[in-house]
Order: sequence, then C-alpha cells, then structure tokens
Amino acid sequence: MDLADEINIQAPKDRVYAALNDPDILRQSIPGCEELVKHSDTEMEARVLLKIGPVKARFTGTVTLDTSGAPDAFSLKGQGNGGTAGHAKGGADVTLTEQDGVTILRYEAHADIGGKLAQLGSRLVQSTAKKLASKFFANFQEAVAPAEV
Amino acid sequence: MNDLTPDRDDRTANLKGIGSARRRVEDARFTQGKGNYVDDIKLPGMLFGDFVRSPYAHARVVSVDTSAAMALDGVVAVLTAKDLEPLGLHWMPTLAGDKQMVLADGKVLFQGQEVAYVVARDRYVAADAVELVEVEYEELPVITDPFEALNSDTVLREDLQPGADGAHGPRRHANHIFLWEEGDKTATEEVIGSADVVVEEMIYYHRTHPCPLETCGCVASMDKVNGKLTVYGTFQAPHVVRTVASLLSGIDEHNIRVVSPDIGGGFGNKVGVYPGYVCSIVASIVTGLPVKWVEDRMENLMATAFARDYWMKGRISATKEGKITALEAHVTADHGAFDACADPTKFPAGFFHICTGSYDIPVAYVGVDGVYTNKAPGGVAYRCSFRVTEAAYFIERMIEILAIELGMDAAELRRINFIRADQFPYHSALGWEYDSGDYQTAWDKALKAVDYDGLRTEQAARVEAFRRGETRRLIGIGLTHFTEIVGAGPVKNCDILGMGMFDSCEIRIHPTGSAIARLGTISQGQGHATTFAQILASEIGIPADKITVEEGDTDTAPYGLGTYGSRSTPVAGAATALAGRKIRAKAQMIAAYLLEVHDDDVEFDIDRFVVKGAPERFKTMADIAYAAYNQAIPGVEPGLEAVSYYDPPNMTYPFGAYICVMEIDVDTGEAEIRQFYALDDCGTRINPMVIEGQVHGGLTEALAIAMGQEIAYDDMGNVKTGTLMDFFIPTTWETPHYTTDHTETPSPHHPIGAKGVGESPNVGGVPAFSNAVHDALRPFGLRQSHMPHDHWRIWKAAHDLGLHG
Repeated sequence: MDLADEINIQAPKDRVYAALNDPDILRQSIPGCEELVKHSDTEMEARVLLKIGPVKARFTGTVTLDTSGAPDAFSLKGQGNGGTAGHAKGGADVTLTEQDGVTILRYEAHADIGGKLAQLGSRLVQSTAKKLASKFFANFQEAVAPAEV
Repeated sequence: MNDLTPDRDDRTANLKGIGSARRRVEDARFTQGKGNYVDDIKLPGMLFGDFVRSPYAHARVVSVDTSAAMALDGVVAVLTAKDLEPLGLHWMPTLAGDKQMVLADGKVLFQGQEVAYVVARDRYVAADAVELVEVEYEELPVITDPFEALNSDTVLREDLQPGADGAHGPRRHANHIFLWEEGDKTATEEVIGSADVVVEEMIYYHRTHPCPLETCGCVASMDKVNGKLTVYGTFQAPHVVRTVASLLSGIDEHNIRVVSPDIGGGFGNKVGVYPGYVCSIVASIVTGLPVKWVEDRMENLMATAFARDYWMKGRISATKEGKITALEAHVTADHGAFDACADPTKFPAGFFHICTGSYDIPVAYVGVDGVYTNKAPGGVAYRCSFRVTEAAYFIERMIEILAIELGMDAAELRRINFIRADQFPYHSALGWEYDSGDYQTAWDKALKAVDYDGLRTEQAARVEAFRRGETRRLIGIGLTHFTEIVGAGPVKNCDILGMGMFDSCEIRIHPTGSAIARLGTISQGQGHATTFAQILASEIGIPADKITVEEGDTDTAPYGLGTYGSRSTPVAGAATALAGRKIRAKAQMIAAYLLEVHDDDVEFDIDRFVVKGAPERFKTMADIAYAAYNQAIPGVEPGLEAVSYYDPPNMTYPFGAYICVMEIDVDTGEAEIRQFYALDDCGTRINPMVIEGQVHGGLTEALAIAMGQEIAYDDMGNVKTGTLMDFFIPTTWETPHYTTDHTETPSPHHPIGAKGVGESPNVGGVPAFSNAVHDALRPFGLRQSHMPHDHWRIWKAAHDLGLHG
C-alpha cells in the first residue's frame, strides 16, 4: 500500500518538527493511541487501538526515526503487530518546507500488511489509512497551533 | 387375472428401479431443515476447540505463550506442538506419503497454519482465548510462485533431508517434491520435432477451493470407561479415517467408531485428514470429555484443501490436414507447504495422463513436477476425479489453439481426431484402457441441437458489426468434448496408503419384504439413499421405497474407501448390484422350493420368481423373504442377507459434449451466458432427475471456477480471497439456464453399465466456459488468457488486443 499527501500546517517549521518529536502531542494526535513512549531521540514505542472494517485490535509497534536531514526532512521506519488481527511494517519519507509562516508537510509512505488485516480489510485498508492520516493531521494541527477561541 | 391386476409395466413402475426419476428421499429432511450435520451433534459436557493460526506465510515460531489464555475462565487446555510431541502427534502423515505439522513445530509455512489449539467449555471463550495466546514470529522470505521455489535458496521444508528421495522418487531441489512421468518422451519429441504444425502454450489452471456449504469439523468423544473412541466428522471416507486414526493413535481399530452424519457438500474438501481432527481426538482423550471443532469459512478457504494450481506447458503437433500426431505436457504443480494431495498412492499427479482426452493421439508424454510453496496444502479433486479436470482443460484449450494455428473450425478438428466407436476398448498412448464410447454420435447431436453452423454465421456477422462500430458485444462459442476417468479403482493399481480402493455393499432383507442396504461410501448430497435403492430395486424386485440405504457409520457399514472421484456408482454401485444378485440367487432356490419345481425351472421377473412357461405360478419377493425366515427349507440356511466387496476390473470413462454460447461486453468485461447445452453420456442412467441435478450443480461450480473463483495470494503470502466477499460463489443472479441432454453408452465391465456422472459437469464445464471467452476474442488474435475470466481479466484481454481504441 502506498500513500502520499501534502498538508499545510499553520505553524513555523521548527515548531512543527519539534511537535513531531513530542510524545505528548503525538499521543493526542494519533487516532486510537493509548500509549506512546519515547525511548530515545530516534526510537518510539506505541500501543494503538485500531478498527479497520471488521477487524478491531490493539496494535503494538515500534518506530525508528532517521533525523539526519532534520528539520527539513526525516524518514521513519516502523512495524506493528496486532496478534491474530495481523501485522504491518513500512516506512515514510517526510519533508517540511516553510512558506510565510506556514509549514508544508509532504510525505510518501509505503506499508506491507499481513494476516487477517490483509485478508478482511484489504479493500478498506487504503481508504481507512487515508482517513486515519487526515484525522492525525487535524489533531496535530489542533495540538500545534490551537485555533483562536 | 383381471383388468385390475397390475401388468408388467405397472409392476416395473412400482419398483422405482433403474431409470426412474424417483424423487430424492433425503430431501424431506433437508428441505425442512431437519438434516443432522456435525455441528448439530451436542454431547453432554462437550468442550470446544479453536485454533491459533499463523498470520505469516513463512516465519520461525520463536515462542508461544499460553499463560494469558490459560488464565481465562472456561479455558481447559491449550495444546502446542510441544504437548503433542511426546505422543508423536505433532506431525502426521499425509495421504500423499509426505508428513504435515499438526501444530507449528518451530516454523510456519503458510498463512492460516495451525499453531496452537485452545480447548474451552464454551465456543466463545475458545475464540477469546485464541486472541490471548501470544506467539512471537520471526519472518522468513515468502515464496508463492512454484517456478521461483525451484530456483530459490530459501528452503521451505527444513525437516526434509537435503538430497534424500521423497515418497515419489528423487527430489532435484530442496523445494521439489517429485517428478512423475508417463509416456514415451523420446518418441514424442521426435514426432513434434518433425511435424507439419506445432503449437506450444502455457495453460494455467488457477488455485481454487471446493468451498462446501458446510465447512469441515468433527466431534471426538473418548469414553474412558469402555475405552472406545467415537469420532463424528465431515468425512468423505469414514473407514479410511478410522484406519488412519488407529494407526496414528495406537488405539485398536475395533475401539474406534467413525461416523459421518449428513454432510453439507464435500467436493473433495473432506477427503483429507486435518490437524483439527487430530487435536480434537487428543483433547478428548486427555480431558475424557467430548470435544467439538468446526472451522469457520475463513479457516476453510485458507487452510483446508485447495484444488488445482497446475501450470501446464503443452505442445501439440498435427499434420496440415489437422490429424493430431503427438501431445506433450510439462506440468509445474504447486502443492503448497506439505504434499497433502488426495490421490491414489501410485499416482502423485492423479489421473492427469487422461490428458489425451477424447482424441486418438498416437504418441504422448507427460511430466509433472510437484513443488513446495508457502501456500496451504491440499490439491484435492474438486468435483472431479483426481486431476482429471486439469487434464480436460489442458487438452480442450490445446485443441482450440491448434485449430487457430491450422485455420480450421474447432468442431471439425475435434471430429477428425475422435477415437472412433469401433476402436473401443481403446488403449491410449499414456496407458489407459478406455472402456466404451461413441463420441461422434454425441458430438453430432450436440452441434445439431445448438445449430452450430447458424451460431458461427451469427458470430461472424457480429464481428463485422463490431468492426463497423455498430456494437460493443462479441459472441463466443465454447466447445468441449471431454472424456473422464472415474471409479477408482482397480486395487491392483489404485490404493491410498496401501488401502485398496474397492468398495462394498451389505444387504439384509427383512421378513416382510423390505430391506436395508449399507455401503462403504458416504453421500454428501449425491442422493445415495435414493439411487442405490433403485439399483437394488431392479436387482431384487423389492420397491425402492421399501429399501433403507445407510452409510457412514463404521460400526455398521461394511468397509469401503468412501465417496470422491465419482467412484460411488462405478464401485459401490457395482457392489450393490452384485450383492443384490447374491440375494436373488438364494431367493431363486427358495422360490423353487415353494413352487415345488427345480431351481432351473423358475426365472426372475421384475418383482417375483415365476415358473418358466407358467407365469401365473409365482412367488413375489415378499413371499420369498417371509419364507426365508419362517419356513424350514431343506439345505437352505434361514435368513436373506448378502455382502459384496467389489474390486472393479477397470475404471469407467464417462464423456460428454458441452457447448456454451456467451456474449461479452468489450468495454466492461461482463459476460452473459446466452445458452448452455450439456450432453452427458454416463452409461446406464439410474435416475434421470438426480443426473440432471448433478449436472446443474456441477455446471454452476464450473461457471464459478472459470468465471471468477480463485484462491489468490499476494507477495507476502496473504490469502486475498479468504471470505465470500472475494471468493466467487454464484447465486441465482449469475447462474444461467442449462439445457441437458444425453446419449447412453453402457460400460461393458460394470454390472449395470453405469459410469458415474457427479463430476462430469465440472470437468467439461470449465473448458466450455473458458473456451467461449477465448472464442469471443479469437477473431482479434487472442490465443490464451488465464482463468478465472472475471470482468477485469476479460476487459484486460480485450484491452491488450487494442479493442478499446
């Protein structure tokens, strides 16, 4: 499965990058995230409750970051396991560009999924992933730059 | 005698014997929901089993942690390979001479493989507990392509000694299972090398699945008091299961009772022995309680016995006039992770070498390579005799392609190559002796029935209209003339793990002239209780309505090899007729005594014995039955019973001519079946209505297979078609009207001349549907396009031919 998108975030690049490394903000932003622990600057572990089609399961996974191009670009690799529900692994390349105080986040992601998730959810995985991504960025926007009340 | 005395026709009709369209006696319970299937069996204290299955297609099993599952209230046990190992049951032998893991022993080799078996007091608790078993896997490279498997350094079966022979001879690669050959390779290559015309093509018969309505399951019940194990299960071969269970468990065979109750369709899926049976039996022995295991639909499609998956590379040669001179086939057979094909032991590629089909081909060669991949094991005969549908599809595609190359009409090409009626019994180049046939007559009848010439004219006009831009729909005429080989089989060359493939019937006539017959086979919907009673009715003169037919309980039924490969009528049907004749022989002696004449002076007449030349002096079979039990007859022991074990001298060779007329929409890829004509010759016809039902059902499965049904894997070994959302089962919406017809060429060696029909429509139907798709696009250059022909693939074929502008 491949996924790519471009999102405008109403905050400067440094703030966006910092937020992407902030476990509290990530926990608030990732749909279904129950726990997120940052082991080091490049390693995180998370537990997420996900529902894709008829499959609902708790996935535990690890994410490794490559921050050598930060803050303009970084990449991440991860894998998650939902036991009998299935498993996934993949990666993403992310670039951040700032324009007039707005950060343009572009990403290209690829994931391989397996198990029941792939069997039952295959027709839904792409659309669900898109939905989850847009929900993530909506939450993220809210956490990084809360709308004026 | 007066006008009210039944005449001979009335008496014959009253028997409802051979040839009668007798209503199926089974249907009274099936249509009212009163069948008794495995899942209907509920025993006191019964526990429920469920499997933890591998989400990976190839991985090491690093650890299995059952503690959380065991802690769940209601869980009785969680079995892993470690628990089965002391019993020597963590692996089991397969029907093909290989072995298979019962529970994952160090690694998993296909998605859905059994890893642990949870036993709980409640079906729901068992399912919950499955989720709590924590298994740590380490992924390994996945191979789903058999050609890649033979060139890969990745060894799938690390348990096998490298370089050591397998059950069927040398293995040339770690992922190679066997090379099986038949025919004269050198002579075939010589003829093909110097032939006028040769065509070469790869024909793929994709992986699919029998997918019976009822999935596989069992209830195992060990009685610790009397030491008797009873196993109720969806078994197509209950006696074989008993013997295998005895050999595996060490329990004496008389202490094992296997019962196949009503079975909701088998189609080959229920021939094999599955880990679920072994684990349920072990769990029942350990707990002393009955244990039920019934797989769900996903488990059925993912893990129990697939069918086909044959890559058939063929070459066929002919003279310029179209006379076929040689045929060659190299098959790469994807057997999945374990070789669990259900074939007679000496035939690891089944009867694939029937692939010369209905044609007189002087020389031929077949080589089949069996290969391991990370897919589910199986390779069963899905509503066909062993690999016969693959063979029929192969030759019927090759004929069509040869016709294109020759520029000949495909019907005419078949006609000039048929084995002629005067050539039977016919010895094929690949070693078979065809018992009887009259292909020409059947073919002419079929072509006339559909107005073949008219169809070709219409098709040509449509092509012209398409080229002028007036229509986007094309017509395809799918021709097939198939020859099957069924009724395994002669014990001299057909056995399963040493068990000879005979079959049996035991008859007991009751004093008031009714009867019970028990057979070694088991109906899965074929209607045995209806048709076997008809055979007996004609043989012994007792009305079919007064004959109970019982199968499936190994404590009562005589030993037999079960029902698959259209063997029930050719083998058990023959045993039934012969047991009936033994009854009749004794009845003749009794009748002669009662009529006070010599044995030779009475003769059988429909439902009675009459004194020769004096038909008014007779004893009905009811009279004879009563006397058999209640009258002291000198020199004749009381009772009227018989048993027959029948080892057929040869297999039977049913054949048929099928024609499918299809319209395809070039832009959407949709296919509409306009007409389907099916002529079957199954020898003597026992019940025309049951035959028609068999043909309708088989054609619908053929439609499914040809037009959409498949077990597809992605590169990671995920089963992409594991639910009925993705696995095509035709509904009334997709199912066309079928026209059935017949000719009748009896088998010369079968006691009543019957050949078997249950599987013909699948064998002949698939090439008919597929050839129709190919024929529609043939005028635009299509030679071969792999099944299943779903809308996308038809659209793609049209697209690749440039038909979308």
